[in-house]
Amino acid sequence: MLLDARGVTKLFGGFRAVAGADLAVADGEIVGLIGPNGAGKSTFFRCLAGDLVPSAGRVVFDGDDLTRASPEAHARAGIGRTFQVPATFADMTVLENVMVGAFLHHPGAREARARAREVLDLTGLAPLAGQRAGALGTPGRKRLEIARALATAPRLLLLDECLAGLTPVELRDAIDLVRKIHRLGVTLVIVEHVMEVIVTLAQRVLVFNEGHVIATGAPREVVADPAVIEAYLGRGYRERTDPAP
Amino acid sequence: MSSDHWRRAGAALAVAALLAYPLAASSPYYLDIGVTVLLAAISASAWNILGGFAGQVSVGHGMFFGVGAYLPLLVYTLWGWPPMAGIPLGMLLAVGLAALIGAPTLRLTGHYFSMATIAVAELIRILVGTWGLVGAAIGLQGPATARGWWDLTFRDETPYYYIFLGVLAGVLALTHALQGRRLGYYMRAVKAGEAAARSLGVASRRTKLAALALSASLTALAGSLYVLKTGFVDPDSGFGILVSVQMVIVAALGGAGTLYGPLVGALILIPAQSWANSWLGGGGSGLTFVLYGGIIVLVARFEPGGLFELRRRMLRWRPERSRAA
Repeated sequence: MLLDARGVTKLFGGFRAVAGADLAVADGEIVGLIGPNGAGKSTFFRCLAGDLVPSAGRVVFDGDDLTRASPEAHARAGIGRTFQVPATFADMTVLENVMVGAFLHHPGAREARARAREVLDLTGLAPLAGQRAGALGTPGRKRLEIARALATAPRLLLLDECLAGLTPVELRDAIDLVRKIHRLGVTLVIVEHVMEVIVTLAQRVLVFNEGHVIATGAPREVVADPAVIEAYLGRGYRERTDPAP
Repeated sequence: MSSDHWRRAGAALAVAALLAYPLAASSPYYLDIGVTVLLAAISASAWNILGGFAGQVSVGHGMFFGVGAYLPLLVYTLWGWPPMAGIPLGMLLAVGLAALIGAPTLRLTGHYFSMATIAVAELIRILVGTWGLVGAAIGLQGPATARGWWDLTFRDETPYYYIFLGVLAGVLALTHALQGRRLGYYMRAVKAGEAAARSLGVASRRTKLAALALSASLTALAGSLYVLKTGFVDPDSGFGILVSVQMVIVAALGGAGTLYGPLVGALILIPAQSWANSWLGGGGSGLTFVLYGGIIVLVARFEPGGLFELRRRMLRWRPERSRAA
């Protein structure tokens, strides 16, 4: 397993945001984490990215225990991530933003710049290279976050709602980009609450509700799971669609 | 001519003006203003590495300036060494101090870091003011007359002007080199968003400590230059809050986080301060506080990026023309 998270629990005071969640991701997979708002998927994601230290459980990546490691140690180990609210470096240009990521494995400025340009070509951001990141719109910033993380040459990329709030055309472009990254051999874990997106992208999904994983499997099976429908739409909906015999 | 040519011509003109200024300065008063401008530009450029590029706004850089100012006169007072010999010691001690106070204070963010630096600087000022070895409240004095050129004690200010100009050029060259290197990018990334920077593998605490150490050593150098010129230092002129605040104001006025912002800020602030003081006579130092306060209000309210940001915004208003140029 590339990523093996076991029994991950996160308490905020007395509130159990994540209660013993397990996730094992094989090299080359695309895994989706879905669930209604407040289900704990983002907290779980932040435990995987090194933002939060789990209250209990272990996170092992490629044989190394990263449970208590710093965010920068996660990057060095080969885990890239994006932020739910894009956190691009507003006063730096698009190229400079990506260079910061490229510096991780290319300490010289010239090599980092060359690597960053390759990533900009790949992600379609090359025409915007000289623009201030702060001048980009939301779709551009989300794309830049992906590019910046990609420049660190991650083996696993964690995407946090990078597709939310896009128009249908932007969404199609973003899905194409995610597929392209996957073809490069990058394993992906995608948090999303837009169900349609996950269904087209992921090979396997985990459904979170109230801090627990309530279902796991192929997207088509999972969306038909009564427990999932109930978590998303409430009990009344299930009773209406599932009439008594 | 392209805009690049214009820029190069402007830079050449500015360098020529800075080199020729002592020849044009009609009186020691104007020469002194020139020397003071250069000194303010050096210390604000040193501050700018931490406060401008790495975004950690220290309001206690007087502690490093003071260390740099005291050491040359201390080695002279204790052992009769040429004051110049105290410069590297002051810079080293400033780096040591930076490492000591950086570890706890750089954990704080934003205003909390600024307040912690004020507290540490004030504490050091008070301690120095009660410590007999370093002259307590009276301070230290340098050689009254030069024993040789190595004492760097000149009656005329022209040699100081050129020494300071050379050091300023060195500090700016160093800053420029830093901007093009990984550490420079990492510093700007930490300023722009620490969490995002860390997610890209930037060791943020090490980056901030490196910026602090570099900034502290250059600030100490500025303090040493100051004391070579004046030949005298006391707790207030070395470690006082006004010393710390001036660096922040000068850099913020010109543009914190830009290469030439501190120089531009010094070129405006120091003459303004000097003229304001001479108009209103004796109560000068009180007026300095009023001037600083007014600038803080104006910069914070209307243009937090300083004059360089203002210029950039004005250029953006007419993009067609600047592109055609």
